[in-house]
Amino acid sequence: MIEVEQLTKVYRVPIREPGIVGSVTSLWRREYKEVRAVDAIDFSVAAGERVGFLGPNGAGKTTTLKMLTGLLHPSAGSCRVAGWKPQDRQRDFLRTITLVMGQKQQLIWDLPAIETFALNKALFDIPSKQYAETLSELTKLLSLQEFLHQPVRNLSLGQRMRCELAAALLHRPKVLFLDEPTIGMDVEVQAIVRQFIIEYNQRYEATIMLTSHDMADVARMVRRVILIDRGVVRYDGSLEGLSREFGSGRTLVVRGNGPVLDRLGFSLMEDDKRRLTISPDRVNEVLGDILRELPQVELTVVDPPLDDVLRRAFGEKRE
Amino acid sequence: MSSLWRHLKATPAMFRVSLADTVAYRAELAIWVLTATLPLVMLALWETIAAGAPIAGMTKIEVSRYFAAALIVRQLTGAWIVWEMNFEIRNGSLSAKLLKPLHPIWVWAVWTVSAMPFRMIVLTPLLALLAWARPELLTLPAAPDLALFAVSVTLALALAFLVQTAFGSLAFFMDRSIGMFSLWFGLWSFLSGYIAPTAFFPSWAQNILYYLPFRATLSIPVEILSGRLHGGLAWQEIGIQCVWVCVFGIIARTLWNTGVARYEAFGS
Repeated sequence: MIEVEQLTKVYRVPIREPGIVGSVTSLWRREYKEVRAVDAIDFSVAAGERVGFLGPNGAGKTTTLKMLTGLLHPSAGSCRVAGWKPQDRQRDFLRTITLVMGQKQQLIWDLPAIETFALNKALFDIPSKQYAETLSELTKLLSLQEFLHQPVRNLSLGQRMRCELAAALLHRPKVLFLDEPTIGMDVEVQAIVRQFIIEYNQRYEATIMLTSHDMADVARMVRRVILIDRGVVRYDGSLEGLSREFGSGRTLVVRGNGPVLDRLGFSLMEDDKRRLTISPDRVNEVLGDILRELPQVELTVVDPPLDDVLRRAFGEKRE
Repeated sequence: MSSLWRHLKATPAMFRVSLADTVAYRAELAIWVLTATLPLVMLALWETIAAGAPIAGMTKIEVSRYFAAALIVRQLTGAWIVWEMNFEIRNGSLSAKLLKPLHPIWVWAVWTVSAMPFRMIVLTPLLALLAWARPELLTLPAAPDLALFAVSVTLALALAFLVQTAFGSLAFFMDRSIGMFSLWFGLWSFLSGYIAPTAFFPSWAQNILYYLPFRATLSIPVEILSGRLHGGLAWQEIGIQCVWVCVFGIIARTLWNTGVARYEAFGS
């Protein structure tokens, strides 16, 4: 569904010295520097996949999404989405995709969200029956009913984001690009949106590519991640593989006590639980030691938190 | 379904929503409309000057009729998408329009036309006042000239819109495209017949102005409506309007197409 080959985007950014001298100098002599926001990346995404596109700020995530949706023209390389070249912005391509970016997008600020929905119905030429069905479904799933007729400027951030999502999905796109879809939302709304995205993916077999700094989003919504840093893909694979490759180790949590735990170096947590983080290749050995002496003990092996894994991934690669 | 039909099909809903949006900004729009009433100020000024003796062959009543017509034409040809384009291109909110399967310029065109009913609401009391105080200034031309006026004022609106589209598209290439438009607007104010009828200019200047685009956005329909331009001569001038609509159509299209490939979608 998404094919990316050697995709590159280079921005030409003006450099200006600070202060009055810099401003005056820039009038007749302006210097530029080239910034490689995306540097010859390759990947592909199959139809119906949910993929997390992760990276620190300025890594090139949003630039890539903008190229995949046709907003930006690549400097080199190519990409195809559902068979189309995005930058051609053909009508059927635009009816196939959607892009949700943060909180600032397409809702008309001074009118109720329902007016934007009606406008999108006309712009995307959505048949009346399909529009009514989809709107009713989205209203229910995203709990929009109580604020659908209020001016957008009077809505809370969470309410606005839910309306943005509904506006972006009214035409039932097959490919969703979601840039920080839960940013600024409270925990309850985040849960609603995450569940909704998963249901949309399953119901319409839609392909979903999302960026997020919220690791709960990633853990809940995707099975595959692509890590990008300084415009280069650092990792492309499963979430579990990511933990294995970049995790500092696995954490063993034991409820109980015994000399073996002290000997192995377990530290006491709360509620009679003890914890030890070890490298993945030592897990079987340590488990054997514990179970030989404490066969009835309650024991769990936990992957390291995704935040830690990513911090480590980006930290290591930068060193 | 052809592209034109798709755009036309979506237009009623776009018009309705644009109108609702325009009304939401009614205070701002009212200020814009009131600033377009400059012809009434010019009317008072030039009427006083022409009271002593005709200026360049125009009597006091002809000067007054000219500016009364200019008031109407200015309202019917009002466009300010250059500001909107500049804002949306520079802050990245153009992205939302680019993701829709209708051309963004069509969306702005509908938005421009949808402001007309509101402009008429503001214009009506001004005309009513003028009709009460100076009925002789608002005499309608004969039916054939009225038809010519309808054609000419439509072309003037199209040209004003395309000129602004061209200047608005410069925002893809430079930070201060509005500065360029301000320069154009300064020239336009003097050369379009907005401040003074072009008949007041020396004949050599009138000969040059005849071939420039400024008159095509204001003076030509004003002269038809105020009864100074008829028949064959009017058609000739409408021909010039058509040429400028085509020229600025090509310029706007070229700048847009080249610019959109450079769009960097900042801030969104």
